[in-house]
Amino acid sequence: MFSNGDEIFKISRLTIVWLAGIFTIVWMVCWGLGIALPMLLTSQLGDKAALTNEILRAATPVIAILVFIPINAMFMVLIERRALALWTVRKGPNRVGPDGNFQTAADAVKLLLKEDITPTGADAVMHTFAPILFFAPSVFGAVPLLAAVTNNHPLFHVLNLPTGIFFVLAAGALPVVALVMAGWASNNKYSLVGGLRSAAQAISYEIPLVLSLITVCLMAGTLDLVKITEQQAGGILNWNLLGGGALTGLNNALAGGGAKALATSYFMGPISYVCAGLLVISLIISFWLYLTGACAEINRIPFDLPEAESELVSGYNTEYSGMKFAIFFLAEFTNLFVVSSITTVMFLGGGDNPIPPYILNNIPGIPQMVAAIRDSYFCSTLHIINPETFFATLWVIAKVYGLVIFAVLIRGTLPRFRIDQLMAFGWKRLIPLSLIVFIIVVFAREFVICHG
Amino acid sequence: MGQDMLSTLLSAPNVETWAFYLLTTLSICLAIGVLVDRVVIRSGFILIGVFGTISGIFLLLSAQFLALAQIMIYAVGITLMVVIALMLTNPRLEREQLIVYNDDSLPPLAKLFASCKRNLNLWVAVLSFVTLYAALIGENHWPLSDQAVSQDAVQTLGEALVTNYSIPFEFASVLLLAALMGAIMLAKGEPKHKVEDGDLTIVDETKKQENNLALQR
Repeated sequence: MFSNGDEIFKISRLTIVWLAGIFTIVWMVCWGLGIALPMLLTSQLGDKAALTNEILRAATPVIAILVFIPINAMFMVLIERRALALWTVRKGPNRVGPDGNFQTAADAVKLLLKEDITPTGADAVMHTFAPILFFAPSVFGAVPLLAAVTNNHPLFHVLNLPTGIFFVLAAGALPVVALVMAGWASNNKYSLVGGLRSAAQAISYEIPLVLSLITVCLMAGTLDLVKITEQQAGGILNWNLLGGGALTGLNNALAGGGAKALATSYFMGPISYVCAGLLVISLIISFWLYLTGACAEINRIPFDLPEAESELVSGYNTEYSGMKFAIFFLAEFTNLFVVSSITTVMFLGGGDNPIPPYILNNIPGIPQMVAAIRDSYFCSTLHIINPETFFATLWVIAKVYGLVIFAVLIRGTLPRFRIDQLMAFGWKRLIPLSLIVFIIVVFAREFVICHG
Repeated sequence: MGQDMLSTLLSAPNVETWAFYLLTTLSICLAIGVLVDRVVIRSGFILIGVFGTISGIFLLLSAQFLALAQIMIYAVGITLMVVIALMLTNPRLEREQLIVYNDDSLPPLAKLFASCKRNLNLWVAVLSFVTLYAALIGENHWPLSDQAVSQDAVQTLGEALVTNYSIPFEFASVLLLAALMGAIMLAKGEPKHKVEDGDLTIVDETKKQENNLALQR
């Protein structure tokens, strides 16, 4: 049936092994710094270790992110190249190491050892500062997401901001500055045009992106990422993707509430049913609007006008080499990961299991399994595994990397836009559509009790 | 006097005070940098730094939403301004010209008027500074509330914008709309095609010679 079944098997094996490796390493770092070391210090020093423990706990999330970003980017580059090779019927990287799996490690070493060139006539300070400004937001912008994707694990609890999604959006607005800066400081016409294009593109596509997220925040009534995730708990019908909680009444009815639950949630009868349907359609459109806007925001392929190879050599990063180019590269892949995480948290229920609990708890064996994990030595004494966080994180990983693979599929499928098509698509299609969706949601949500 | 200020600074009770002084110093330095830097684009980027530090001050005042709005609006807004500056000015051709005013022949009063007219920006700045300073210092009538500061002021802000402050809010929207329409009218204006041939060749010559003048300056 599959002529390339062998390749698919190799990619799946690679993904599972690498992901297991990445997240085991990151979690061991978190656990060691945030839980094991404080426990050890407290047992040895007693109360004197309190301050050190506080500092260690505060540093844990940041160090976890800094450990995570490079190995994750290495994995994502490799999986992107292999998946693209699969979809365009080519051979991917296949020379370095078994099946070419060490290719990105070799690339990373090469990039770090390359000479760092500043072109003549370039503004040296800004030329150096641009990659830093491009990379920094993807580190601190990801911070509030950590609490949301780990089901509010105590270690990451401090990071939850009351203005969570707005913080992420504000951090996401900064890289544009860096791209214009890089383009201008390089003293190269191609770079300059790339920078200008990225400014035009990011500003046009930020409007539908923000409007689609505002729609979700409006349904949720909060900007807090953890609260948004918690509202969506309890199965696929509660997810913001399907009506932002408009189907909660249906979910309650299926869970055993019957017709009474339906009458409570859809209190206006037929009007409410129509509005719930409208909400479902609007939120699905919002989801696609967000994905499109995000793709443009992070310069992924149908929208990679700022570095269009066929027109602009390499756009804003033409004049970059060595470490600085590596930082640009790293930040691009981290941004893809961050965007997928935002989508997961805002639309796909964060770490929520798509199977609702009233079905899951009736499957023989699953409640016993969770109870066994909770009672085990690893969970109760060492706190290595916490069932709430563990399963939530597994779902988050599956959803996020599903979206990443989807972005790679888009890259392998669609051709690049032309700049006028890009602008026309953004201003004449996406922005009106997002405004219409927003207004429909504003009115329709009055007739349905959402997330109730 | 200086000793007193130093001792107050050193005896500052907490980290927040220190952070406030650090951020203000940084933002004043960056603001001076905006004025002093002769390259338009670079001073635009420094301006983003100024607004970044001001958003830090907002964060210290536990106005999280305002701080983030500051970053979001100004980062993108100033990038646009920089882009427009890039497209409208031509820093590679325009060399700074020292303008010499010879109004020695004028009577003293007219000389004063001429100088005021030239330095209009300065006088506007001084006047607005004095007004603001008087408003801040003169009467101590800022309403103080003993309510606890809520962690996210989003709800309070939203309610205030549509109840107490709805007229200023609407007024600002109308002003922005007028500015937008004005910008469109300006952009639609007929372009001038009055470049003489001789000038054009000279411009090309200078372009070749002074390639990248703005960056080397």
